[in-house]
Amino acid sequence: MSQTPAVVVRDLHVRFGDVEAVAGVDLTADSGRATALLGRNGAGKSTTMKVLAGVVPPTSGAVTVAGHDAATDALGVKRAVGYCPDVGGLVPRATPWEHLQLSARLRRMDDWEERGRDLLERFELGDVAHRVVGGFSHGMSRRLSVVLAALHEPAVLLLDEPFDGVDPLGVEATLEVVADARARGACVLLSTHLRDLALEACGEAVVLRGGNRVAAMQAGDLTGEAYRALLD
Amino acid sequence: MPSSTDTFSSTWLEAARDTRHLMRFRAGTVRRRGAALLGLAVVVVLTAVFAVAPTRVDLHAVESAPLERALAALESNLGAAFAGFLLLAIGAAMGSGGGRELLSRSEASVHPISPVTEHLGALVLAPVNLAWLVQGWGLLAITALVAPPERLLGAQLVVLAWVLAATALGQAAGWAVEGVRRTARGVLVVRLTAGAVVVLLAGLHLAGALAPLARALPTTWVADTAQTGRWPLAAGALLLLAVAAVVVGARPAGWALGLPPREELRVQSGVHEARPVPEPRWGSADRALLRRLDRGSVWRSVGMRRGLMVLGIGPGLVALVAGLEWGTVLLLPGLTASGAALLFGVNAWCLDGKGMVWRETLPVSAADVFDVRALVVAECMAVVSGVTVVLALLRNGLPPLAVGVAVASCWLVVVVQVLAIVMTWSIRSPYSVDLSSPRATPAPHAAMAGYAGRLSLVTTLTAMLFTGLAALPWAWVPAVVALPFLAWSTARLLRVRRRWSTGDERARVVLTVAAV
Repeated sequence: MSQTPAVVVRDLHVRFGDVEAVAGVDLTADSGRATALLGRNGAGKSTTMKVLAGVVPPTSGAVTVAGHDAATDALGVKRAVGYCPDVGGLVPRATPWEHLQLSARLRRMDDWEERGRDLLERFELGDVAHRVVGGFSHGMSRRLSVVLAALHEPAVLLLDEPFDGVDPLGVEATLEVVADARARGACVLLSTHLRDLALEACGEAVVLRGGNRVAAMQAGDLTGEAYRALLD
Repeated sequence: MPSSTDTFSSTWLEAARDTRHLMRFRAGTVRRRGAALLGLAVVVVLTAVFAVAPTRVDLHAVESAPLERALAALESNLGAAFAGFLLLAIGAAMGSGGGRELLSRSEASVHPISPVTEHLGALVLAPVNLAWLVQGWGLLAITALVAPPERLLGAQLVVLAWVLAATALGQAAGWAVEGVRRTARGVLVVRLTAGAVVVLLAGLHLAGALAPLARALPTTWVADTAQTGRWPLAAGALLLLAVAAVVVGARPAGWALGLPPREELRVQSGVHEARPVPEPRWGSADRALLRRLDRGSVWRSVGMRRGLMVLGIGPGLVALVAGLEWGTVLLLPGLTASGAALLFGVNAWCLDGKGMVWRETLPVSAADVFDVRALVVAECMAVVSGVTVVLALLRNGLPPLAVGVAVASCWLVVVVQVLAIVMTWSIRSPYSVDLSSPRATPAPHAAMAGYAGRLSLVTTLTAMLFTGLAALPWAWVPAVVALPFLAWSTARLLRVRRRWSTGDERARVVLTVAAV
């Protein structure tokens, strides 16, 4: 008997006024696997991620995340998902610890503090745990966004451009988070422009272009030449 | 080799050109061009009305002794009112960290914008401030009322010249204060000095020396000369003063803008030790935690904290020291609540900045998020307007029952009224803004001017109604009249809460505020 995929997207359309950001994406992602979402700027990767995180409702199409319908049960989706947004993602005048505290409280986590501290240390944010994030560098903000996404060990981990502006130690820590999530049976979706890192972190790859899915394959089959051909 | 005169003129010409480019850029980003033009037309028409209409009123013909006395008081205090305008200009520039900015700090950081351009931009934006407009209109109206009709044109030209000069002087002083504030112990120095000035003014007033001193200022000569045939002399002198103040003001602007903003940097690097999850006596812990986060976003912002303190203490001190009548006190809660709402409430979701996307991924109901944000906005308004009422109470003692009920009813009505209006605006017209700088505003300047005008109009009219009700012998009337106001505002608040609860609308607000 085959297991139901953790993420199922069928003919997803997202419109903002006259602009169609996503135009008919189909996607499935299994538990215990990491899937890379690749494509050029404006391909619809981040919008698709926002739909999967329950932030943007789908205009049409069917989206199921960990068994929750994104159109009708956004709250259920949010409980199941850990999401690192592509830009910012932090309340400017709150501290990392306050971010973690709120996230843990709203997800009814009782013993979260040790894991929170551990994650902050792994991402080298332990020293700034009680400083407001408004003064953080871009890379520090990205690392904290990954920590927040991973804190509650979600069934579906969505990482949108997690390597953007992050130093090598941060990249290593992020790859560890992805590996840990896979090991405990979570579904990981990772959106990035960096093909090499995507291949290192993920077993599958999906390429989007112009709001459509143009390819889905084993990550190992996505050579540089093949990727470039899919982008043009 | 160019002379220093050439360098001076080219610096100012370039700055003027850059200011024009920035203004064009900002004008191009105005969303509702028709409404902005209409607002501008209303301001111009109102200015003309205030400058001319009072002269048609012949108060002497009424032959009322109290009116004659009031007119004489206005005439003898016109010079003091001129000085009051200068104080306002200084206060406004100080409160906004030197002056408003045409481009936000992050937007401007990649462009070669000189301090002179920043200075000119702040001067251009100074009139986009309701207090500035209202005081300016007040000077025009009083002058029209007391000046002989044949001298009206000259007198009003002098008023306009004074408005220009006082704005330029205020701007120069504002930059200087901001420069001091950015030095090592500057924040403390500015706070102590401001406190000493307030205490000095209060002491002078209580000793009965403030009014004679204000009347002895050179502004009284300006006000008197404006109504004589020598008005060109006064106008010319003021215009020269204005030009000199603009030129001189560039120096402190350059000094202040060249120093790091210490207070903001201290906030950004500030340590806030972890506190346990709150366990409220009523309501859920989730809401309490959300409330704590929202309150932190308000009170950890230099601009908002400074604005709330000024709004809370400033009008309250005037009520305490000057001993305002309850009829006047009734106007203050609406105006101070509006001022508090203009600090961030008109674009309430901007507190989260880019973090709004993360906030939206949290598993908490949209209604809870809305309720908590509305409560925090309401708290700020209630606190600043409450301080004013309490200080007036300390000075005046307990009012008669009818007046007391009117004050309480009016206070509650204007807070709920403003809350319903600003939460509606926050969802209808969200903006992406960075409020880390006290020079920033929660919405573009044109929108802020419109917001300020509408809030002041609504709350002033409401307060005037309750002032009338306070004069009635039935104490229950103000409370009963408050009910339909509260019902209407509550219905409006519930309507916008329902709108927030729809996923599409919320996504639009989230993506706009976070600018993603």
